[in-house]
Amino acid sequence: MRNFKILLIGQPNVGKSSLLNALVGPKVVVSNYPGTTVEITQAGKTFDDTEIKFVDTPGIYSISNRSEEEKVTEKALFEEEVDGAIIVADASSLERSLYLTLQILEAEIPAIIALNFVEEAKRKGIRIDSKKLGKILNIPVIPINPLTKRGIYDLIDSLLKIKEETEFFRVKYDDHIEKAINEISSQIKETSMPKRFIAIRVLEGDEDFYKYLKDKRIIEEVKESLIEHPRVAEDISITRYGTASFIAEKVTQIVPLEAGRGKIQERIDNILLHKTWGPFITGLFLLVIFGILLYLGNSMQDLLMESTEILLSSLGIAEHSIIAMILVQSLTGVATGVSISLPYVFLFYLVLGLLEDVGLLSRFVINAERLLKRLGLPGKSFIPLALGLGCTVPAVRATRVLASEKEQIHTTSLFAFVPCSSRIAIIMGIVGFYGGARLAFSILATSLIAGLAWAFGIEKILHIKSEPLLLELPPYRKPLIKNVLAKSWIRMKDFVCIVIPLLALGGVAYGILDILRVTEVLVKPFSPITAWLGLPDVTIIPLIFGFLQKDLTGAMLLSVLDSGPSLALTSLQLYTFGVASTIGIPCIIAFGILIKEFGFKRATLLVGISIGYGILVAGLSWRIISIL
Amino acid sequence: MIKESDVSKIVREDILRILGERKEKVSLKTLREKIKVSHSFMFKAIESLEEEGLVFVEEEFIGLTKNGWDEAKDIVKKHLVLENYFKETRSKREAHQAAHLLEHYVSEEVINNIKKIFTLKKEGVSLIKFRSNEEGLITDIPSSDYKLFERMVSMGILPGEVIEVINTIPAGVIIKINNKKFVLDKSIAKKIKVLEYEKF
Repeated sequence: MRNFKILLIGQPNVGKSSLLNALVGPKVVVSNYPGTTVEITQAGKTFDDTEIKFVDTPGIYSISNRSEEEKVTEKALFEEEVDGAIIVADASSLERSLYLTLQILEAEIPAIIALNFVEEAKRKGIRIDSKKLGKILNIPVIPINPLTKRGIYDLIDSLLKIKEETEFFRVKYDDHIEKAINEISSQIKETSMPKRFIAIRVLEGDEDFYKYLKDKRIIEEVKESLIEHPRVAEDISITRYGTASFIAEKVTQIVPLEAGRGKIQERIDNILLHKTWGPFITGLFLLVIFGILLYLGNSMQDLLMESTEILLSSLGIAEHSIIAMILVQSLTGVATGVSISLPYVFLFYLVLGLLEDVGLLSRFVINAERLLKRLGLPGKSFIPLALGLGCTVPAVRATRVLASEKEQIHTTSLFAFVPCSSRIAIIMGIVGFYGGARLAFSILATSLIAGLAWAFGIEKILHIKSEPLLLELPPYRKPLIKNVLAKSWIRMKDFVCIVIPLLALGGVAYGILDILRVTEVLVKPFSPITAWLGLPDVTIIPLIFGFLQKDLTGAMLLSVLDSGPSLALTSLQLYTFGVASTIGIPCIIAFGILIKEFGFKRATLLVGISIGYGILVAGLSWRIISIL
Repeated sequence: MIKESDVSKIVREDILRILGERKEKVSLKTLREKIKVSHSFMFKAIESLEEEGLVFVEEEFIGLTKNGWDEAKDIVKKHLVLENYFKETRSKREAHQAAHLLEHYVSEEVINNIKKIFTLKKEGVSLIKFRSNEEGLITDIPSSDYKLFERMVSMGILPGEVIEVINTIPAGVIIKINNKKFVLDKSIAKKIKVLEYEKF
């Protein structure tokens, strides 16, 4: 069994005591070392075949005898047998710790530097090359963190390997000082301490060391020879400090620019990903975006509507010809599709692309993750769900980013509750216009509640184990407009190439059915549904044909009701109609894309159930409201 | 979810590895049995390998040229290092599978780090124990869910890489690897094993 006595030395508040705790653990008896006003703490622990006694000394900046703390530490260092010292250094102010280190090495005490506060220094942009430092000083340098126990084992490893016989780093003083050191060295008694060190201490004027001199007259002799250099003690400490700062400079790398930039990014992240601020800002952002969209969309829509009306009337085809009828109907379909949806869809995807390229979208996804997780959805489903507010068709496509088919279907089923621009147009344009904004918002609220209930229900039934969050966090940067435009176009492509032509077809289909007077035939067999909804029988026509062409729902409702909706329908009926036409997979085009993604059977099931659920909710909610 | 651009690279390296392991000419049929990709990918890969003078094609057989041998040797070595490494903690089949995927993503530096970890025989601690701004060397990532494993590897979160914890947020842990930031669910972070790494 070997016995080691190791001193812990360092500036005040450099973490010596916490290092001692990390080294010996809380179980070890800590004893106090009385006798002086400043106390020394000792604690021991056995590692392998070595019992190490650690001595925690008071914090000092240098070895001298000026203060009580320094005297105590000096005593501990030199008046007892010490096997080595751990110098606890502060990585963010290395120079100061190195000064002390150089003194310890002058005393030829085997030392190890434990570099503390490495993480803090790094945050300030200071990186210390510990290996290089170790090479220069010829001692082990180990980055530590007493709190996480980082580096503790390496420290113990190095302690067990500590060597007494080694070449110690020497500070080179000016020639006249070196000469004086040599002269004094020759007059020193035999002791365990190195002569050079004693000589330096004597030159520095430390009277405690005078006792090691054979003849004290040497001091006067040397002083006389140094008559041209009256401030030797200062020269020595200046040289030592210069050496310390020279070494510190060599091993320190300061990365202010990059760190500063990263800092701003991290600061933004600290706010955007904050526990409470993150979700709050995300919600606020979405609200602002929708406000802007509604405003810009409305003005764009007005402009487009006007021009399409002018176009349609300028065609002025004879009204009774069937071909003309079909032509007008299909054009109306396209025109309403373009004028209602395009502004919203286009603007929406533009903003979304912008958010994505700036780097905000992924932060929103992370904030949404917590909420979505509770619904059994992965955070990633935020993007398709947001896309669904534009048009369901490209949104269904976007569910492909999700990991499993279960997740994909679950998210897709929620498009029944995420109103697309056409459904928003019904809510705002028809219900809001005739029944007021409050009624319109109560439809959105109903849809939200029904959606949450649905999501919870599915989660309970399917037990979807959603994939854990794993997402790249892109840096914030300036967006490339070209990229954003290209991305928006790719997302819009489905809408333009699939949805708009089908809108025209839907219009034509409605026209033909109307001419053949089939529409009225439908009214009777569906009367149980309208009865459940508490609506006039004829409203089944816009509800059913809404599935062919959502954007015509409003116009059809107006045409089947002889008078305007505000007279023919009570506001409760208007609300029920709104809910029934909002909840559910919205249209035949979305149905088509569902077939493509999930196959006919599952698509039909999804559409059927979601529409049925919508009708159920609509019927239930008006009953609940009327009871209240 | 492997990127398409990665697929051709993977196919190329797999062809070289198989030829290197067999140390003889291999028929196209065998290659197709071993590497399950569409024909077009396979043909494109063989064509480009031939163009670069790494393989030669004789009727239905493919063999390595001298340059091809050098390349193949490196890949086989990589595969062996990885397979041996993963055998420590996994079944033979799983180790092979993991090595099979990883060999296409790891750099020379990462392989060296893995060798280092392997010889040190040190087991890492869970990433969740790391605090902000602490760095370490990944020694293991969870592979029981192969899809997740594949995703992590293709994102560059792999054994031998240096990982730094940036922050812990409610949704998970923000980490930095190769100057790229990621957010990991805490359940993943728990299973990532990291060795404290002195880079300074």
